[in-house]
Amino acid sequence: MNEEQAIASGPYAPHTPVTSSVRGTFIEGEAILGLVLLGVFVAVAILAPWISPYDPHALSGKPLERPTFSHWLGTNDVGQDILSELVYGARISLIVALGASTCTVALGAIIGSLAGYVGGWLDNILMRAVDVLLTLPRLPLLILLGAFMGVGVAQVVAIISLLFWPVTARTIRAQTQSLRRRGYVRMAHLFGGGTGYVLGHHILPALAPLIVCELVIAASRAVVLEAGLAFLGIGDPAAKSWGLMMRFALNLPGLLLGDRWLWWLIPPAVCLTMLILALTFIGIGLEKQWQPRLR
Amino acid sequence: MTRSRLVAYVLTLWTVLTLNFVLPRLLPGDPLNTLFDRDTPGYVADESVRTRLAMYYGLDRPATQQYLDYLRETLRGNLGWSISLNRPVAELIRDHLPWTLLLTLTALALASLVGVLVGAEAAWRRGSGLDRALVAASIIASNVPVYVLGTFLLIGFAVHLAPQWLPMAGGRTPFARYGSLVAMAQDIAVHLFLPVTTLALHLVGAKLLLVRNSMVSILGEDFMLIARAKGLREVTLKRNHALRNAVLPFVAQLGSQMGLAITGAVFVETTFDYPGMGRLILNAVGSRDYPVIQSVFLIVAFVVLTSNLVADLINARLDPRVGAP
Repeated sequence: MNEEQAIASGPYAPHTPVTSSVRGTFIEGEAILGLVLLGVFVAVAILAPWISPYDPHALSGKPLERPTFSHWLGTNDVGQDILSELVYGARISLIVALGASTCTVALGAIIGSLAGYVGGWLDNILMRAVDVLLTLPRLPLLILLGAFMGVGVAQVVAIISLLFWPVTARTIRAQTQSLRRRGYVRMAHLFGGGTGYVLGHHILPALAPLIVCELVIAASRAVVLEAGLAFLGIGDPAAKSWGLMMRFALNLPGLLLGDRWLWWLIPPAVCLTMLILALTFIGIGLEKQWQPRLR
Repeated sequence: MTRSRLVAYVLTLWTVLTLNFVLPRLLPGDPLNTLFDRDTPGYVADESVRTRLAMYYGLDRPATQQYLDYLRETLRGNLGWSISLNRPVAELIRDHLPWTLLLTLTALALASLVGVLVGAEAAWRRGSGLDRALVAASIIASNVPVYVLGTFLLIGFAVHLAPQWLPMAGGRTPFARYGSLVAMAQDIAVHLFLPVTTLALHLVGAKLLLVRNSMVSILGEDFMLIARAKGLREVTLKRNHALRNAVLPFVAQLGSQMGLAITGAVFVETTFDYPGMGRLILNAVGSRDYPVIQSVFLIVAFVVLTSNLVADLINARLDPRVGAP
């Protein structure tokens, strides 16, 4: 332990206590591993037009080609380059992750901090709504909403955000309730700070670490759900995501009997898993740093 | 406590029923639109026929009356008529629900058993290599999407390692005639093996971590030190003192696990083409069979909410602290 950590964990620690007694039982530095992995995926997604060998929608080869130097991962059943599909797939996963996590956490943070800070009947009503939404089985509801609302990328983001904000709201509310009792917050209130002022200047800044944690968790959940919906065949059929690639691959009769699954089914499955694990690792690292008691 | 639970249960069920009624009506248009549209093949020119059809389906009544009719019929068990399969929806549910329940309950039981036993062992040897490996494996297994897990198991076992034993898809052999009940059970079990393994692997990680963590905190309690000082045997300490208390939060979570398990089951059923509720709802989405989609949502919600309630009530009995006002 270096000096800086010693101070951070000592009695003069800043208001986010980091107890060094909780040493990892998991791989050390998992957050760094996660950040590096995520960085690679983000870079691939941004640079997709330059690094992908073909347009993923173009018929760049014969159907079902085996891997060659011109098509590293072969082609799919209509002759589109699988590597290019894989590269562009990163975009869809990351866009949904970014959109859904931002909306979910924004909704959850606003509702959770309002309920926690204002309390009373508002808290009562909001938390009853949260209870109801949390006990509903979400996947069938997701499918039902998707069936009625349609399933473009924007709708998927909206549906995920609408269904999952209560998870965040509950956590944020609990933390807000404990913040509300702190001296400086009560002081601000007593000096005449209105609800909006205290929330904006004192509560939300103090919630920032928790909000970052929630963003990462929500992003990982959104990636799983988007790919899952595509895998189930109820995603946007035009958005070539990794889940949709897996579905198309598995729909080819006899795929598993040959060796095509090696370059068609496995790459999107592995990419998806790596992206989710990257987010999970970052989440674990952040939680360890900011909420040592949760472990 | 018990009463507020019951109120919440009824309230949530009512929300589900209302959602089912309101959602389709939020969309533009109504079911009879096609009859009024000159450009569709279903166009009906005769005004009086259209009015009679609207009367027949009850669409001429005010929304509140429609809502009450809907509630009454649903509570009577009338779930409507499947458009694409031309059968009562209740019949479809009866055919598919048992498969999903078989899959989910078996997987939940298996995952709970393994999670409790292995989680307790990991806590007992906390900090050891075994513990670290188990924690890492649990985190990874519960975060890998269940359909990826299933696909790997499918390729590994049904295609390569044991294709002669394990079928790749379905709930049982098509068109099979069984000589005996045992043969039937065997066929069903063989088809169930990979789906259940996938779902149990998906669920076990969270359970293992929960039991391990609560057991670790129990091991630090004073009463454990006293028990040890009394010279009790290791096995007694582990089983009767530590595990018994560590299992309480696990039992408390069991109820909420049903929703997670059913969500997992929908994916597992798709991966292994298993004939449960997941397949029913997805086929219905494909053919835009709204009565089926809505009913599956309704029934799954009912099953999940009811098991939550039952688990809560049992838990209140087991742990007096929960039942206390």
